[in-house]
Amino acid sequence: MGKERRRYRSLGRGVSERALKVWFLVPTFALLLFMIIFPLIWSLYLSFTRYNAVATAPPLFVGLSNYARILSDPEVWERFIITGKFVGIAVVLEFILGFTLAMLLNREFKGKGILTTLYLLPMMFSPVVIGKFFNFILDTNWGILNHILGALFGLPKIAWTTSYEWAIYSIVITDVWIWTPFMLLLTLAGLSTIPGYLYEAAEVDRASGWFKFRCITLPHIFPLLILALLFRTMDAFRFFDIVYVLTGGGPGYSTQILPYYIYKEAFQYWHTGLSCALAYIFLIIIIALSNIYLTYLNKLRAA
Amino acid sequence: MKKIGILVIAVVLSLGLMTTASLAQKVTLTVTWAAWYPADYLIKLSDDFTKQNPNIKLKGDFIPWPQYHDRMFTEFASHKPSFDIAIPDSQWIGEAAEGGHLLDITDWFKENINFDEWYEFPLRSYGEYPDFSGHWYGVPLLLDFVLGAYRKDIFADPKEKAAFKEKYGYDLTPPKTWGELKDIAEFFTRPKKNMYGFATWQAPIATAGLADIFLGPLWSTGANLWDPRTKHVEGILNNDYGIDAAKYWVDLYKFCPPGSSNYSIDETMTAMQQGMVPMVAMYAMFYPGLLDPKLSLYADKIDFFTEPGAIGRDGVFRHYVQLGGQGFAVSSYTPYKDEALKFIKWFLSDEVQWEWVKGGNISLKRSIIESPKYAELTPISKVVKETAPKLRDFWEIPQYNEMGEYLSIQLNAAILGKISPEEAMDKIAKRHEEILRRAGYYK
Repeated sequence: MGKERRRYRSLGRGVSERALKVWFLVPTFALLLFMIIFPLIWSLYLSFTRYNAVATAPPLFVGLSNYARILSDPEVWERFIITGKFVGIAVVLEFILGFTLAMLLNREFKGKGILTTLYLLPMMFSPVVIGKFFNFILDTNWGILNHILGALFGLPKIAWTTSYEWAIYSIVITDVWIWTPFMLLLTLAGLSTIPGYLYEAAEVDRASGWFKFRCITLPHIFPLLILALLFRTMDAFRFFDIVYVLTGGGPGYSTQILPYYIYKEAFQYWHTGLSCALAYIFLIIIIALSNIYLTYLNKLRAA
Repeated sequence: MKKIGILVIAVVLSLGLMTTASLAQKVTLTVTWAAWYPADYLIKLSDDFTKQNPNIKLKGDFIPWPQYHDRMFTEFASHKPSFDIAIPDSQWIGEAAEGGHLLDITDWFKENINFDEWYEFPLRSYGEYPDFSGHWYGVPLLLDFVLGAYRKDIFADPKEKAAFKEKYGYDLTPPKTWGELKDIAEFFTRPKKNMYGFATWQAPIATAGLADIFLGPLWSTGANLWDPRTKHVEGILNNDYGIDAAKYWVDLYKFCPPGSSNYSIDETMTAMQQGMVPMVAMYAMFYPGLLDPKLSLYADKIDFFTEPGAIGRDGVFRHYVQLGGQGFAVSSYTPYKDEALKFIKWFLSDEVQWEWVKGGNISLKRSIIESPKYAELTPISKVVKETAPKLRDFWEIPQYNEMGEYLSIQLNAAILGKISPEEAMDKIAKRHEEILRRAGYYK
């Protein structure tokens, strides 16, 4: 005890261990307070006001008016549906493709390392750059995709980013291209943890490939798959960059998913209060969905 | 020793103060604008101003067009923008002025601006808010407007001319009416040759999109966006004339390249540069891109025409052209208001305006536009002179962005066949009134 007091006395007179711990934590807490906690509380307050951040008038308290307006506007519900459709299709496709690729890569062969690296590359690029490239790839008149489809299958030109029917799939294609590697990575990580002797034992018992997959592979990696789905779902809900660059939310509102809509309300129309309310509704939806995933995950772990 | 020390300290302090004082007199004005050629030219031109006023220098903070509005207003929202001089689009004036972000220059304007030297309508558009209130927040910098560009080689081809005359009964020349434009677009739509008749901005966005180009035919057909006095929209925008304009626009799209419903600046230029279309409508100031041989396969084969007028259902020919362009405005937060106004006054002089147009830009000054010297100066000079008296602008109120975008989105849905032109105009009129009602325009 006396030795400890002498050590601290050499650092600064009267600086106790407890005070030192507090001082080291203060910058982090200050950052949390100003960058996260204060904006959360302030934006929650603004969600109950009519406010325009570029106008001179101060926030005017309007109670639940913003929330009522959002929840009673059919165009907003349309955007909820578009967002759900995008997340559902994109995440499912990423899961199927990522899982399939992981199963194929989960063996030793020449060039496995390079191939795995190549598969993971899309995740490393800037989404904005990818969006711009897909703008060119998916262009109705100049795009290579239409050129290939026309040359190989005689298909007419598809207006990928400008037709109501196809625009949503143009952002799905782009999202799947970027984030399938994430699913692949997590699945591969899960597959690599399965003990080899389980497969050997199954071989000895002449178990079929489907039996091995159903009774060994899947149970072992299922919790990790749920986690991967959780991360991808939450991330897909935040999808903004590609929509901004590729379709601008159009045509009409057909690709205007919620984050993009919130941006428009907040920074183009300057409906600051309304956009805060929308952001909170969105937050509640994401929290609810995450809780569903986590509840299921905990049940799996308990089992 | 002590006295020497005090003396040394006094000398050092005096030198320091003198240096600080001389440094304080040097002012660098930051100008924010879109990142394009005229912005670079403005900074280059400002070197002449600095030669005459060594303590005032200009530097640019230029933002790509798609992000320009958002960035400017986000900075305004902070109340500490990084710029001293803002160059807003004409329709942003209301939004900026209402927020208190622009310096009221009414007194300065009355002392320094002579109305007779300028075309009145655009002069008011670039700086007066509210309309005809006598309150001024800006002055013209760059006149811009919608014009047409066409392939003069195709239009001069004897076979094409003969075939067109046979089909439509009149000569193939740059169109004088939107009806003629549609005929020409139809004539040149040849999908098997990957050629279509016309391309223009159709993107469902508030600025640099469908609304910019549609408003010319809307007004020329005899319709209006609203009643400028009462601000009511229903029964005005969506009356028979308005629906005629919307139907025309939907019909015209049949002759535009497939997938061009999201065309903005770049895509329209590319269509013309690559020879996919023989005619485009776009803002005038982008014309250098069509004539640059590094960018355009047909650089030496392109000429320009005035945006057409239209004959309304009442048989009257009307001719209005959408105004674009930007004006100078001074940030209300800048500590260098006098220096900024000094620069602007210098810029508006005849001498500097000539230098401005020699750099390929467009001035709003009558003495420049109407000068015979100007007629030969640029490829679009004759179009500028024909267009200047016909200019009209859309709303310059803070709600323009939401209203313009909704108009673009609904008409974009109509050209894609999602809704009828009548439905589009009815929806637009209803939504515009909702927006204006919420904003308190109806007492």
